[in-house]
Amino acid sequence: MAPAPARHLLLLLPLLLAAAPAGADDLVAELQSLRARSPSGVIHLTDTSVTRFLSAPASRRPYSVLLFFDAAALHSKPDLHLPQLRTEFALLAASFHDRNPGSGDLFFADIEFAESQHSFHQFGVNSLPHVRLIRPEHSTLAGSEQMDQSHFGRLADSMAEFVESRTGLEVGPIVRPPLLSRNQIILLGILFLISIPFAIKRVIEGETLLHDRRVWMAGALFVYFFSVSGGMYGIIRHTPMFLTDRSDPDKLVFFYQGSGMQLGAEGFAVGFLYTLVGLMIAGVTHLLVKVESLQTQRFAMMAVIAIGWWAVRKVIFLDNWKTGYSIHTFWPSSWRIWNHPH
Amino acid sequence: MAEPEVSSAASAGGWRLRNAFGGVLCAFTLLLIGVLAFSIRLFSVIKYESVIHEFDPYFNFRVTQFLSKNGIYEFWNWFDDRTWYPLGRVIGGTVYPGLTLTAGTIWWLLNSLNIPLSVETVCVFTAPIFSANASWATYLLTKEAKGTGAGLMAAAILAMVPSYISRSVAGSYDNEAVAIFALIFTFYLYVKTLNTGSLFYATLNALSYFYMVCSWGGYTFIINLIPMHVLLCIVTGRYSSRLYIAYAPLVILGTLLAALVPVVGFNAVMTSEHFASFLVFIILHVVALVYYIKGLLTPRLFKVAMTFVITVGLTYASKYIPIIASVSEHQPPTWPSYFMDINVLAFLIPAGIISCFLPLSDASSFMVLYLVTAVYFSGVMVRLMLVLAPAACILSGIALSAAFDVLTRSIKFQLSKLFDDSPAASGDSSPESSSAGTVNTNSTKSESRTEKSETAPKEKPSKKNRKKEKEVAESVPVRPKKEKRLLVLPFELSVMGILLLIVLGGFYVVHCVWAAAEAYSAPSIVLTSRNRDGLHVFDDFREAYGWLSHNTDVDDKVASWWDYGYQTTAMANRTVIVDNNTWNNTHIATVGTAMSSPEKAAWEIFNSLDVKYVLVVFGGLVGYPSDDINKFLWMVRIGGGVFPHIKEADYLRDGNYRVDAQATPTMLNCLMYKLCYYRFVETDGKGYDRVRGYEIGKKHFKLTHFEEVFTTHHWMVRIYKLKPQKNRVRGKLKKLKSNSKTSSTLAAGQKKNPWQ
Repeated sequence: MAPAPARHLLLLLPLLLAAAPAGADDLVAELQSLRARSPSGVIHLTDTSVTRFLSAPASRRPYSVLLFFDAAALHSKPDLHLPQLRTEFALLAASFHDRNPGSGDLFFADIEFAESQHSFHQFGVNSLPHVRLIRPEHSTLAGSEQMDQSHFGRLADSMAEFVESRTGLEVGPIVRPPLLSRNQIILLGILFLISIPFAIKRVIEGETLLHDRRVWMAGALFVYFFSVSGGMYGIIRHTPMFLTDRSDPDKLVFFYQGSGMQLGAEGFAVGFLYTLVGLMIAGVTHLLVKVESLQTQRFAMMAVIAIGWWAVRKVIFLDNWKTGYSIHTFWPSSWRIWNHPH
Repeated sequence: MAEPEVSSAASAGGWRLRNAFGGVLCAFTLLLIGVLAFSIRLFSVIKYESVIHEFDPYFNFRVTQFLSKNGIYEFWNWFDDRTWYPLGRVIGGTVYPGLTLTAGTIWWLLNSLNIPLSVETVCVFTAPIFSANASWATYLLTKEAKGTGAGLMAAAILAMVPSYISRSVAGSYDNEAVAIFALIFTFYLYVKTLNTGSLFYATLNALSYFYMVCSWGGYTFIINLIPMHVLLCIVTGRYSSRLYIAYAPLVILGTLLAALVPVVGFNAVMTSEHFASFLVFIILHVVALVYYIKGLLTPRLFKVAMTFVITVGLTYASKYIPIIASVSEHQPPTWPSYFMDINVLAFLIPAGIISCFLPLSDASSFMVLYLVTAVYFSGVMVRLMLVLAPAACILSGIALSAAFDVLTRSIKFQLSKLFDDSPAASGDSSPESSSAGTVNTNSTKSESRTEKSETAPKEKPSKKNRKKEKEVAESVPVRPKKEKRLLVLPFELSVMGILLLIVLGGFYVVHCVWAAAEAYSAPSIVLTSRNRDGLHVFDDFREAYGWLSHNTDVDDKVASWWDYGYQTTAMANRTVIVDNNTWNNTHIATVGTAMSSPEKAAWEIFNSLDVKYVLVVFGGLVGYPSDDINKFLWMVRIGGGVFPHIKEADYLRDGNYRVDAQATPTMLNCLMYKLCYYRFVETDGKGYDRVRGYEIGKKHFKLTHFEEVFTTHHWMVRIYKLKPQKNRVRGKLKKLKSNSKTSSTLAAGQKKNPWQ
C-alpha cells in the first residue's frame, strides 16, 4: 500500500520541474539584483512587486521571503519600536548574506503601509510589528507564517532562530557594527594619551576636579535634577520628548495627562522648576546676604519671591491636572459653612 | 579686673539658663513631633478599624502570634506545614526576624507590666510607634550634620512625609515599618562615630546595623552607601583616624553579626552586594598604612589612591550602572510620583544640597551622598522612594533651617535697630553661627520662639565634648569672623519670605494629612465606597475567611491564587497550597494550570493535592477591579511557563482578553471562569459584569466536579468544594446507594479481605 503514493509523487516531480524553470530562474536573478542594489540587502517591495514575486504559484518561486511590514507613520510610536526592529531586521539580512553570499533560497524584504495598502490587506496584517515568512509551499499570501511576538524579544538573535528553525538555512552569528568606528577609537586613544601627562601633573598637585567642591556640588544637583524629572523613566521606557497631536499633526503635545506615563519634555520642565526654586532659596540664604548693596538685595529678593511663587503654583497646578487628585484640607466639622463639600 | 569676672560669671549663669531652657524646649518639641508622627498614621484606625492591612502583614502577624505563643526557640525552628502543602516552609530560616521580634518584645514587655494588649493591637501600632522613633533618629542625624535647628526641622518634616506614611500607617505591619528607623539610626551612629571617633559609637553602629539586617533586605543599601562615603572621603583627601574607626569595626562586626541572621547567613560574605564594602575595607587599610608610613609625602599618596580608586570606580560603575538601568521590570517613577511622595520637599532639596557644601564636613558630605544615591535609585525603581524620604527630609530640614536662620536674623537685628539705634546690637552680629563662648546679651529682646530653640541647644554639644567635636565646630565660625558687616537682608522682604516659607510648609502639611487620610489608609481587607446613599462597607474577605474557619475541618486544604495565601492561613487557619512567599514557581504554576484547565482536569489536579475547597475572588458584582478574572492571564502565563499545554493564545481573541460573548471556548470552559460566573446570571438576569463593563459570554451552565458551598454578601469571595470521586462502575453505583451508610465500612472490609 505504501509505495503507491510515493510513486505518484515521483510521477509528479518531473512535471513540477518542467513547469518551474519557465520563470523561477528569472525571478531569483531579479531578486538577487534588487538585493545587490539595496545597501542593507533588504529588498523594498510594493504592491506590484508583491504580486510579481510572491503571488506567483509556488512552483515558480523556489525561494522563501522574510517580509517586514513597516509603516512610516507609526515610527514615532515609542511602544512599537518599529525603527529599532527595522534596523535589527537589516542586521539580520546583512548577517545572512555574509554567511550565504549569493544565496537564492531566502530573501529579506520590507513593505511600507502607505504605499502598499493592498498587500497589507492581502496578508491580513492589521497590527504592527509584524514579520512574515513566505515559504515556497505556502500557496496563499494569508497562509504564510507569522513570526511570533516572542521572536522580537531578543531582536535580531531571536529572529535568526526563527529563520533557522523554519527554513533550515543557517544565518550565523549576527554581525553588529561596533559602537565607535575605528577612526573614532584611534582619535579618542590619541586624545587620552595626550591628556595623561596633564592629568598626572594635576593629580600630583592635588587639584583635580575631584578636589573641587563645586564639581561635586554641580554633579549632585545634576543627579537630583535628572532623577526628579523622571529621566530614568524616559531611559527605561523609551518615551519620546514630545508627541504630535493626533487630530492636528502640526501641534505638539508636551504634557501627557495621566500619572502613569510622562513625556521627556514635561519631566525636564518640572524637574527644572523643582531645582530652580531650590537654587533660588540657596542663593538668597548663602549668596544674597553677602551682597552689600541694599538695592540689589531688594530687587533680587523680589524677583526670587515672584519667580518662586509662580514656579510652585505652576507645579501644583500641573500635578493636579496630570494626576486628577484634589488635595483638600480637613477642617473641624463645625466650620463646615466655609468649607466646600468634598 | 573684678568687673569682667562678674560679668562673665553672670553671663555664664545666663547662658546656662538659656541653654537649659533651650534644652527643655527642644525636648518638648521632639515629644510633640513624636506625637505628630504617631497620630497622623491613625487615620486608618479611625476611618476603618484597628486591623492588619493587605497581604504580607498578615503573614508577619501570624509569625508574631506564633512567637508570642511558643517563644523564641520554637519560632527559630518553626517549620510551617500549613502552607505550600505538601511541601511546607521553614519559617525560622527564611524570614527577616527583626519586625517580629520587635513586636513580640513590645507585647511581652507590656504584658509583664500587666498591660494586657492583644498581639494584634501591638502589631497594628508597631509602625506608628517606629515612625516616631524614626523622626527622633532623624533629629539626631541631622543635628550631627547641621545643628539642632535643622534637626528639629527635619524631624518634623519626616514625621509626616507621605512616602513614609504610605508604608507605616497603623496596621501596615511590614518590614519597612521598623527598617526605616533602623536605617536612619544606623546612619546617625555612623556619622556620630565619624564626628567623635569614639569606639563606643562604632560598636553601637555595628549593633544597629545588625538590627537593620534583621529587619529588611534593604540593608544592602547601607553596606554600599557607607563604603561609598568612605571612598569619597579618601578620594577627596579627607582621610582621618575617625574615618577608620567609623568604618573598620562596622565592616568586621557588622558582617559577623549579619551572618548570624539565618536568612542572610553566608550571603554576607559571598554575594556581590557586599563586595564593595570589603574592597573599600582593603583600600582603607592601604590608605591608612600609607598615611602612617609616609605622613609627609601626601602628594604621592594621592597618586596611589587616585589610580586605585579611579580604576576601581570605573570598573564598578561600568559594571553595575547599565545593569541597574537595563532591568525593565523595575518601575521607574514619573515626576508626579515625586510630588505625591515628597511634595514641596522637592523644591527645598537643592537648597539643602548647597547648604551642605557650605561648609563641607564629613557629616554633610554623607548627607549629600545619601541623597544622591537614594534619588538615583528611586528614579530607577519607585519602591525605593521610601529610602529617599529620610534623605529628602534631612536636606529639606537643613535648607529650611538655613533660610529661617537668615531671614529671622535679618528681622531680629533690623527690628532692634528700629527700636534703638544703639551700637550694642551690632556687637553680637552673628550669634547664630558664633562659637560656644559668645554670649548673647540681647536674649531678652523680641525674637521669635523658633529662633530660641534653634540657637540655644546648638551650643550645648560643643561644651559637652568640646574636644571631640572641635573639628566639626571649627568649620562653622570661620565665616563670621572675617566679615564684620551684618549679614542681613532687607527687613520687609524678609518678613515676606518667612511668610511664604510658612505658606509652603502649610501646603506641605495639608498635602501630608490629605495623603495620610485619603490615599494611604485603606486596609484593602475591608473596602469602602462612598456614593449618594452614603458609605458602603465591603467586608467580604473576612466573612469568607470566617466561614472557612468555622465550617471546615482544621486540616482541610484550601486552594486559591497565591495572593490570598497569607490571609487564608492567618485568618482562616487553613492549609494553603501557595502563598505570597512565591518561592516555588512550579507549585504556583500547578495552581495556575488548574485554574486555567477545564473542570475535570482541574478537579484531578486539585484532588492530587488533597484540596478540599477552592476559593476565588470575584469583583464583577460590585465592581472590585483587582479580582481573579483580571489576574487570570497571569495564572495562564505562569501555568503555561511550566506546563506547555496551557497556551496564552487560547484564552485571547485576536490578542484581546475578554470574557464576553466573543471569548474563546477555552476561556469560557476554564475553571476560573466557571467558578467566578457560576449562577452569576441569577443576580440581575443578564450577567452584566461591572468590572469588565459588558455581559458575560456563557451565562447558564452547571458544575460537574465542584459544588458551591459559600458565597459572600457581595459575591466578592466564592468558595467551592470538590465533589467526591464518582465510582467508576455504573452497576455498582446503585448497589452502593442502597446501602450507602455502610459504604465506608464496606471499603475497609474489602481491603482487609485478602489477608483473611
